[in-house]
Amino acid sequence: MRKFLIAFLVSILALATVGLPLTVFFVTDTGGLGDKSFNDSAWAGVQMAVQKYGITANVIQSYEQADYVPNLTAAAQVADVVVAVGFMMQDAVAKVAPQFPNVKFITIDFSVDAPNVESFLFSENQGAYLAGYLAAAMSKTGKVGFVGGIPIPPVERYQYGYEAGIQTYNVLNGANVQVLSGYVGSFDDPAAGKAMTNSQFSEGADIVFAAAGLSGLGTIEAAKDAGPGHFAIGVDQDQDYLAPGYVLTSAMKRVDVAVFDGIKSVIDGTFKAGTVTLTLKDNGVGISPMTYTKQLVPASVMHQLDVLKQAVISGQIVVPATEKELQSFQVPPIQF
Amino acid sequence: MNEWIQAILNVFTNPTFYKSTLTQSTPLILAAMGGVFSETTGVTNIALEGIMLMGAFGGVMGSYFTGNPWYGLALGTFFGLAMAALHAWASIKYGADQIISGTALILLAQGITGFALVELFGQPGSTDLVRSIPLVDLGSFKDVPFFGPIFGNLSPFVYMAFASVIFGWILIYKTKLGLRMRSVGNNPEAADTLGINVYNVRYFGVIMSGLFAALGGAYLSIGELGQFTTNMTNGRGFIALAAMIIGNWNPVGAMSASLLFGAATAFNNQLQSQSILNLSTNTQYIFGMIPYIITLIVVAGFIGKSRAPSADGIPYIKE
Repeated sequence: MRKFLIAFLVSILALATVGLPLTVFFVTDTGGLGDKSFNDSAWAGVQMAVQKYGITANVIQSYEQADYVPNLTAAAQVADVVVAVGFMMQDAVAKVAPQFPNVKFITIDFSVDAPNVESFLFSENQGAYLAGYLAAAMSKTGKVGFVGGIPIPPVERYQYGYEAGIQTYNVLNGANVQVLSGYVGSFDDPAAGKAMTNSQFSEGADIVFAAAGLSGLGTIEAAKDAGPGHFAIGVDQDQDYLAPGYVLTSAMKRVDVAVFDGIKSVIDGTFKAGTVTLTLKDNGVGISPMTYTKQLVPASVMHQLDVLKQAVISGQIVVPATEKELQSFQVPPIQF
Repeated sequence: MNEWIQAILNVFTNPTFYKSTLTQSTPLILAAMGGVFSETTGVTNIALEGIMLMGAFGGVMGSYFTGNPWYGLALGTFFGLAMAALHAWASIKYGADQIISGTALILLAQGITGFALVELFGQPGSTDLVRSIPLVDLGSFKDVPFFGPIFGNLSPFVYMAFASVIFGWILIYKTKLGLRMRSVGNNPEAADTLGINVYNVRYFGVIMSGLFAALGGAYLSIGELGQFTTNMTNGRGFIALAAMIIGNWNPVGAMSASLLFGAATAFNNQLQSQSILNLSTNTQYIFGMIPYIITLIVVAGFIGKSRAPSADGIPYIKE
């Protein structure tokens, strides 16, 4: 009976959408909406598409990993397009997508090899590279920190890009800025993020980059508590406004742009299965405009960041994305 | 090997390690104290996690709407008391299975806070920043070497946590009410024949547990951060339960176990921050297990068999 009822309701929903504009379902990962990070950013991308194309959009929140398969299945039963974000959803999408060949899947941060899945990855390391260089240039103590959530590829790309940026600063300026790094083991524990950041401050770091979702909010809080001279670096979205003057910059990735582009490709018929990697070149990653901290950064450093950005775009600098690549990374001789 | 000795020395000579131990232990001590109060009278309370979450949310909500974090603390405490009262009502009056009632309350707390977050703050995930409870500034004491950085600027919650231990120990072991609590938890029939109102004493124990657990939760939101985020207690209620069991249902024992957990977490944070170790990411990640490994060693090696109150978790039905 219950099964019948569900089938009935689903078919009504399905009928209701016939002839109507595209229906998009966005399935969050466990970070959920309000993470002030990539789930929010993805939803912003969906909203952009709603405004521009008048599509119907819905969101299903996942509260634990076990929700992924049921949520994706529920979404795929009624939607034309399913947007799935977060590396941890990879297996779930790989399982669900083949069952719904007529539904298009747009995935963020992981790729799935199926004819109806378009995947977007980011070169987080390129944005983090600039953030790392900036952090090293701005550090008064000669030590900077990194706080990670769980070491999954996107977080590691942030970490090694950041460390490469610091190394670049050291080589080009004859400095010896050190990096302290740690993992809190969770993306949703700001108290743990704060404790880890305080530990790094106590070991002499004055600028800490957090790539740890909600846990990273604790890093921003710690910088604010520690007072002037201490900075956090935000992640994924422009988080500078969360504590004006205490967030030096944010290493951003334009999840919103990726999601919007994905939906757009379905609408104009250019949807293509495969993986698209967004880089510094196409503004898919980068650092925030530093609304509150720009006046603190010397013009010379701003200029150096520009030069490095061009060098990354032109391919003169290949920013490492893994621990291995970082170890063999050679800083090319750059003239400012 | 030498770097390791150097790094560990660095950790133990850094005042931040000790301060971090205190701040990491505070929510655990408070919640564990809640557990002690409830279970001493014979009511299992695994709802601590949920009560903490409600305390954390109430704290931010009160602070947000009044602009005064102390009202926030009052509201958080009230939420905690209400949750505990629900648990008491179901498990004492109706003799419900206490594990089930506790689990239901955890789920209820997650649901309520998730729902109210969107309704009140217009967004899921996290609230706006609110005013948090000011730190206790000890003035010139801050300049005392070593001890200044540890004690100079602590949250009042830290003092509350230790005060609650003293309060709990005196109440449970040195007063008439405490004797009644223990007798009700060990042998409710005997207590009843002696004219003790088993139900009232149990209500008292469970409701006090709501008070302490809510304080522990409020510390996380308005003591530490000035913000509520979804499920921000992140399992601390269960760690507090473990601390209570390791501490043999005794306030001082529960405090020691909480301090041990706090110190292990602080040790992990501080050790990862040592630049001389030059750790790979994988090794760092393994460090996250330190608190649990230490717990296993302590539980297996140093603590004797812990003994729960005999009637813990068994509903009492008056004949």
